[in-house]
Amino acid sequence: MSNHLFELSQINKRVVSNVSFTMKEKERLVIFGPSGAGKSTLLHLFNRMEDPDAGVIYYKDKELNTYSIPTLRKEVGLVLQEPHLFPGTVEDNLKFGPSLFDEWSPNQGEKLLGYVNLSKEYLNKDVTELSGGQRQRVSLARTLANNPEVLLLDEPTSSLDEQNIELIEHDLQRLVEEEHVSLVLVTHSMQQAKRLGTTGIYMEEGKIKEHGQMEKLLSDPETEELKQFLQSNSI
Amino acid sequence: MERDIPTYSLFLLIVFVMIPFTIAYYYQLGLKKDIIWSTVRGTAQLFLIGIILTYLFELEPIVGIPLMLSVMITVATFHARKKGKELPHVFISILLGLITIELIVLAMWLGFGMISFTPEEVIPMSGMVIGNSMVAMGLVLERMKSEFEQSRGKILAALSLGATPSQASHITVRKTLNAALIPNIDQLKTIGLVQLPGMMTGLILGGVSPIVAIKYQLVISISIFSTVSLSAIIISLIMYRYFYNNQMQLLTLEEIKKSS
Ligand SMILES: Nc1ncnc2c1ncn2[C@@H]1O[C@H](COP(=O)(O)OP(=O)(O)OP(=O)(O)O)[C@@H](O)[C@H]1O
Ligand SMILES: [Mg+2]
Repeated sequence: MSNHLFELSQINKRVVSNVSFTMKEKERLVIFGPSGAGKSTLLHLFNRMEDPDAGVIYYKDKELNTYSIPTLRKEVGLVLQEPHLFPGTVEDNLKFGPSLFDEWSPNQGEKLLGYVNLSKEYLNKDVTELSGGQRQRVSLARTLANNPEVLLLDEPTSSLDEQNIELIEHDLQRLVEEEHVSLVLVTHSMQQAKRLGTTGIYMEEGKIKEHGQMEKLLSDPETEELKQFLQSNSI
Repeated sequence: MERDIPTYSLFLLIVFVMIPFTIAYYYQLGLKKDIIWSTVRGTAQLFLIGIILTYLFELEPIVGIPLMLSVMITVATFHARKKGKELPHVFISILLGLITIELIVLAMWLGFGMISFTPEEVIPMSGMVIGNSMVAMGLVLERMKSEFEQSRGKILAALSLGATPSQASHITVRKTLNAALIPNIDQLKTIGLVQLPGMMTGLILGGVSPIVAIKYQLVISISIFSTVSLSAIIISLIMYRYFYNNQMQLLTLEEIKKSS
């Protein structure tokens, strides 16, 4: 038994070409790189929202396609880049996932909103009354409601202000540590990458240019591509 | 004495057709060809059907009725299919749907002695049921495509939370059915008030007493209402699956086209 949580081997999908890497249990992996690099595409492969055209993915040492898809998607929770909420109230959204597995208890709502820095008054709010940033937070809480073991986040704070970013990052950190959640995070923000990531993957045009400890990538990049990227996204 | 419309007066109908035609021309709606073509085609079809019906009505009912019904269902299927050409198995789905509905409604009519097994009664009644079901199925197909397109983000979110295609399509299918059935429900609500329904008008003009006409109309209105609802539901429940692959992943219309 290896202690690999995920292993991707020679993956091809759209722009993503010949990508291989492994990820350990409880690792916090950040995927970053310019727009169109294939970050979202790569992230969607982890919970089979999409399947690779070629290559194999292992999850807990078994091929990903041996798992039941609904259970896998519950266990490996994805927060999509665009926060599309279901019509109804915030609570309707939070209970959608758990209800599919008969696991919803109404007292969960307040705690879930707490993770994303929203008060319990929001539970009964209609989603049409939410701001862009609030929608994004509800979308994150909705995935957390499923109690995932692995959390896949696609730019989860892209439309939030500094203060909320800090609060949510703090809660994510707590969640990851207390509940032993593993994290794969796609982000444009190098600050966020530094704060949340233990390891990082720098992608460009569908290829992994650099993979290593996050600190090392930021302080001592090896490739020209990453050096330039860091310069133009300077901290 | 049987009532008849003098043939020459039918030509006066052209005046009526000229009204929408003029409007279309004036506002450059780009429907001119459509209007002319529909009128010519509709008129020709009706005369042709009249001739065919005369012959069919003389055949043994057990031969003539199935023959005519098959033709009607086939034509209706070809027509409804146009709205969902991209989707796989759409022809066979509509065909089987229409056959099922026709059999159910026929069993009800004949079983409860509402009509007798003669072409004069079965064919026009079935025509209305099949025609309306065809329109509803076409509407469902068209609507379903646009609803799936519009709700893409929400469906992806539902799938990523562990929903199966059937669970993830719930809202979309409901919206599709709502939209497709509104005209049907409205029609039932205003029946006899806003419009004297077609069949009743026909019967009264043909000299049948209004009470008898109402009875027939009631049978046909309720039959249409139920079969239209049923056909919309059947086609929705069959077709939504084709928006997904076996890996519970949502497909785009392009991908559906490619795979079928
Ligand atoms: N569903 C799709 N069908 C076809 N092509 C797609 C699809 N989704 C993404 N692409 C293409 O694949 C490439 C990678 O897209 P992807 O969304 O993975 O990039 P990204 O790194 O997440 O970019 P961003 O930072 O802008 O979110 C892009 O060229 C995009 O146009
Ligand atoms: Mg992306």
